[in-house]
Amino acid sequence: MSAQAAGAVGVSRPQLDQAAAPWRRPSIWAIGGGLAAGIVLPLLLVRIDIGTYLITLLILFFVQAVVAQSWNLIMGYGGIYSFAQVALFAVGGWTSGVLVHSLGWNPFLAILISPLVAVVAALGIGLPTLRLRGVYVVLLTLAFHELARVFAVTGPRFISGGGYGLVTVQTFQFGDAIGDQRTIYLYYLAGLIFAIATFVIWRVIHSPLGVAMTALRDSETYAVSRGINQFRVRLVLFAISAFFTGLAGGYSTHYNGGISTTIFDFPRIIDLLAMIVIGGWGTFGGPILGAGIVIGLNQYLVALGDYQTLILGLALAGIAVFAPQGLWPLIRRLYENYLAPEPLAPAVEVSPAAPRDTTEEL
Amino acid sequence: MLEVKGLVAGYAGSEVLHGIDLEVNEGEGVIVLGPNGHGKSTLLRAVTGLLSPRAGQVLLDGKDITRWRPDAIAAAGLVHIPQGDLLFPEMTVTENLLMGAYHGPTWSERSARLGRVYELFPWLKERGGQLARTLSGGERRMLALGRGLMSKAKLLLIDEPSLGLAPLTTQQIYASIHKVKESGLSLLIADENANHVAGLADRVYLLETGSLVRQGPADELLRDKALLESYLG
Amino acid sequence: MSTQFVQAVWGGILFGSVYGLMALGLTLVWGAVRLLNLAHGAIFVVGSYVAFFVVSKLNLPILVALPIGVLAAAAFAYLMHLIFIRPVIGKPGFDNSTLIATVGISIAVSAAAILIFNPEYKVIPPIISGNFTLSDVQITKQGLLVIGTSLALFALVYLFLTYTRRGMAIRAVSQQQEAASLMAIPVVRTYGMVIAISGALAGLAGVLLSPFFFLNPNSGFNPMIQALIVTIFGGLGSVRGALVAGFVLGIFESFVEVYYGVAWAQPGVFLLIILMLIVRPNGLFGIGEVRRL
Repeated sequence: MSAQAAGAVGVSRPQLDQAAAPWRRPSIWAIGGGLAAGIVLPLLLVRIDIGTYLITLLILFFVQAVVAQSWNLIMGYGGIYSFAQVALFAVGGWTSGVLVHSLGWNPFLAILISPLVAVVAALGIGLPTLRLRGVYVVLLTLAFHELARVFAVTGPRFISGGGYGLVTVQTFQFGDAIGDQRTIYLYYLAGLIFAIATFVIWRVIHSPLGVAMTALRDSETYAVSRGINQFRVRLVLFAISAFFTGLAGGYSTHYNGGISTTIFDFPRIIDLLAMIVIGGWGTFGGPILGAGIVIGLNQYLVALGDYQTLILGLALAGIAVFAPQGLWPLIRRLYENYLAPEPLAPAVEVSPAAPRDTTEEL
Repeated sequence: MLEVKGLVAGYAGSEVLHGIDLEVNEGEGVIVLGPNGHGKSTLLRAVTGLLSPRAGQVLLDGKDITRWRPDAIAAAGLVHIPQGDLLFPEMTVTENLLMGAYHGPTWSERSARLGRVYELFPWLKERGGQLARTLSGGERRMLALGRGLMSKAKLLLIDEPSLGLAPLTTQQIYASIHKVKESGLSLLIADENANHVAGLADRVYLLETGSLVRQGPADELLRDKALLESYLG
Repeated sequence: MSTQFVQAVWGGILFGSVYGLMALGLTLVWGAVRLLNLAHGAIFVVGSYVAFFVVSKLNLPILVALPIGVLAAAAFAYLMHLIFIRPVIGKPGFDNSTLIATVGISIAVSAAAILIFNPEYKVIPPIISGNFTLSDVQITKQGLLVIGTSLALFALVYLFLTYTRRGMAIRAVSQQQEAASLMAIPVVRTYGMVIAISGALAGLAGVLLSPFFFLNPNSGFNPMIQALIVTIFGGLGSVRGALVAGFVLGIFESFVEVYYGVAWAQPGVFLLIILMLIVRPNGLFGIGEVRRL
């Protein structure tokens, strides 16, 4: 993997990659179909009884999937073990919350500021830590999370709201749309954010930057020796990730009409982590799939109360150790076997016996 | 004592050893000669369990130890002195030596063994309290040898004893290996220089691109300059 | 001496010894196994709740509960090693898998604590009660015990690592794992031993500390974060570093708290560690291995 990925930096277009991985170049039909379905779906759903409930679930899915994808971008692809994701989400949420609540901005304008402030915060954490690695990032991001929590609970009143967070922030208003009509508009807005984030993250993963980060993750020494500036790659990824996380945070505040300090509770982090791990760590589709699964399961497991957390925690540990690839590779294999448009080109035999010259590495 | 049958081993994606058959008898000095990068280290690593063989068998006194963990193989008496010495850098010279005697039954005799190693390398005693990472290349090699000798080895496997050393140090190292051999220990040495090992070897194997291409008594093979030249260049 | 000053020093030494005790376990595991154990706080909680159970449900004295709690924490840590750590040792995804696994375990433990007991705050009695005053500052005897125990444990761990066969083996494994295995040192079993010892230390910290803070299902989280900071401040894998950094950070935090207010304690420590990372990325006594997780 590493050699392939790193080698591709200089090469024009990895042709072999496409034959082996047709989903990397989804057809116009697939994208168009997905968009059309996304647009029509709420219009059909409002006609059934539990339709509104399903739409709100989809909104939840959009928001969580954006955050999970952003996190996966840095953690799964970038190898940056950041636990600041929820804190950055909160930074986004509070930013537009305060702008609207204290300064009377329009929510639609305010959520455009959220991602920017989140990026600034991310750079603040990233500049001192991203030159170092792993454990330092874990620690400082966890500490940042804790710091943000303490600040949100005990900080000035316009932020802490006396310890509960912001409770009465103005929600999005679409003209005088109310009820189902308003829910549909909210859905479209969340869907738009989701679509943009997904597209950008897809582009990033398949850009030279994405190749560079995979190379860094898989073989740091080699990648660095090929002239990849690790620090800069990490910082850019961190900023992109924070951008969409902050945006999702802003949306969430004006969707819920507030942001509570309970957002910092550990189970929130676990939920997001579970999405990435169950779906597939370091895969494009993994966190989206995982977000769907976790949100769906939570609807059933919520009745179990604390057993839900217990199960989720153990499942997380079990999957991380015994099936670290998650479900996405499985789905891909099914796709290859049953749904791929045409038989794949025969795999290029890279037999272990062939390359004699490799012995020089010994 | 040590029997290797049809050993196949390698690293992810590439096979390095293509079926090695080799044996070492009690008290014997066996040399595996071959140029750099042809699999000598891989062979020793596969024998002592650092690398899991893909096929073949490793027998010690008739017992199959192929899939044993390295620590179990070491405890059974195959002691590997690896390339690059791999000392414990933040431990003192004495502590490094003591770790050589970690295995339970050996530990109780550690003082006696320490005495014997000091006899062989008096220098180690003087430097007992120095941290291993502060030693020079030759000193490290001696410490690595001494550490290996602290164990209750039946067979010592030494990977390129002279690698990276100055000529004078190289001589010292081989002289001490000589003494080790005289004490009756069996040796399996991987080397790329036939001259160094001439006095140590009873039998010689020639390794080329992962296969043993020739074997024979040392006095016969090592005298055949033309043959050696064609293999080792 | 002003009351404030005595208060700050006393609090600093008390915090410092506790942070050091938690950090000692973390740094041992990091040094030997290269495992960042984010379940360290959960193990702390396991020890505390078991001791609480023994005291309140079995009505046994705290002196009996203490060793039981410590053993339970060690056993729990070892079990975690068997199930979630050992299977991935030496595999390429070790860092990822263990990081997530330990996070998963820590959440599972706090959920289990809520289910078995309840989310309410619990009280564990101190081992010795009573206090005296020094310049109007209350010095609890339990506090003195905590400080003494922490220092004694540091000494004990130091002696163990320096002079015993198994202790030296732990150092050998942490410095050159491959060579250790060639010296017949059972690497994986040594890992298990280190994790169990670290668990015992976390459990002990939990039982000794809970009289100060009350016990709840998440009460291990904060000590763990502090311990992580201490570990990094002192240098990952360094026992001496954990001791010194524990006191330095404890006293720093305590002074900030006393003179500038509680709200500034955490940001202050956070700033200090960032400065530290810029000036000395390997910590006070770091061995210089910044590159690995």
